[in-house]
Amino acid sequence: MRHRAIIVCLAIVLALITLFVELHAQAPQPQGQGQQVQGQGQGQGQGQGQGQFGGRGRGGRGQPTGPSKPTPRWADGHPMLGALAGEKGIWGACCGSLSNAQTPYQPWAKALYDYRRNNEFEPHTRCKPSGGARQFVTPYGTEIVEMPELQKIVIFDIGGPHTFREIFLDGKPHPANLVPSYYGDSRGHWEGDTLVVETTGFNESFWMDRAGSPHTEKLRFTEKFTRTDFDTLRYEVTVDDPGAYTATWSNTFQMRWNGGQELFEYVCQDNNFAPVLLVGQEERVDRTSVIIP
Amino acid sequence: MRLKAAVIFCLLAGLAAGVAGFAQEGHPLTGLWYGDWGPNATQRNHLTIQMQWDGKSVMGIVNPGPDSFPLKVATLDSSKWTVHIEADGKDEKGSPAHFVADGKLENIGSYNRTITGNWNYGTTKGTFKLRRD
Repeated sequence: MRHRAIIVCLAIVLALITLFVELHAQAPQPQGQGQQVQGQGQGQGQGQGQGQFGGRGRGGRGQPTGPSKPTPRWADGHPMLGALAGEKGIWGACCGSLSNAQTPYQPWAKALYDYRRNNEFEPHTRCKPSGGARQFVTPYGTEIVEMPELQKIVIFDIGGPHTFREIFLDGKPHPANLVPSYYGDSRGHWEGDTLVVETTGFNESFWMDRAGSPHTEKLRFTEKFTRTDFDTLRYEVTVDDPGAYTATWSNTFQMRWNGGQELFEYVCQDNNFAPVLLVGQEERVDRTSVIIP
Repeated sequence: MRLKAAVIFCLLAGLAAGVAGFAQEGHPLTGLWYGDWGPNATQRNHLTIQMQWDGKSVMGIVNPGPDSFPLKVATLDSSKWTVHIEADGKDEKGSPAHFVADGKLENIGSYNRTITGNWNYGTTKGTFKLRRD
């Protein structure tokens, strides 16, 4: 009788441990996998969570239901970043916040970042395009379309301004005397299975992430896209902006594949109710102008 | 002659509109600031300052045009959002004057943020207000 009670007790403990391990394995992992600061002789491996709205759009982060299929590839062998021919699919949102406590801000940039955390009045909420990593934080995800015959890749936003960025793969350098723009000028090349994209020529009219990390026109953005399996896109970002930071710094995220989904019509100006929720203490939103400043 | 003047005016107006319509989210002082200054509420003078952050310091020019003069000092204390400006220009009578101004940056997250504060040169004092356009 006594032995039976001990066995039942052990069985219950074992079941609880198994349940705990199972639940932990299913819990979403933080997206930021580690930030590194260059120029300071050290790297900080620190996980980082989502920004306020990162990864919560309709496109979401998508949860794989089983083992992922292998990375799809083009005939020349390099990974396919978009959907297979005849199929649909988009990448779920990622990287709400690029920065963390180790980000090497200049004092004014840190103060402005802190201010924005409490006074959200982001250009994106006013239907403005948002370059850098912010492009991947739009609600409903993004679609990557490769055009080998044109030697370029186009990344489409679905929510927000519903616009797109072109990445040129023709080997030409950035044009001289770029006029600053929201998406800048993106030039890409393949390094093994990784697409490396260098972007410069940004204007200062947007936030480069959802959290409000400031930048200046000196910003150079390096992105590394690696489709590690069918459902996963590893996204590594390096920020080089001597106007706002004291050193270059980087962070790594993952995007999840949402098969079967595609672009749909979304007109920000018609559906722009978000500012009511996103202005924070900055409540003086001028709604009298037809042009959104 | 009139046509030429009109064309120049339109070009300048277009350029000004383009600058004004370009939102700026980088360094809080960068941009074109309009406002006025004066010793009291009734004696006011138009004031335009163009400021630009180069990554290390703020540079700028007061009243761009034939009577412009550069900013000698322009600093932002981001712990208090205060602004300190010094410039060597001319007063209302055209005499050389060293202006010193201290103001407070407000409504920072807005496209149309403002700087308000006090200025002086010698014993002359007054207030100023600038709005970013």
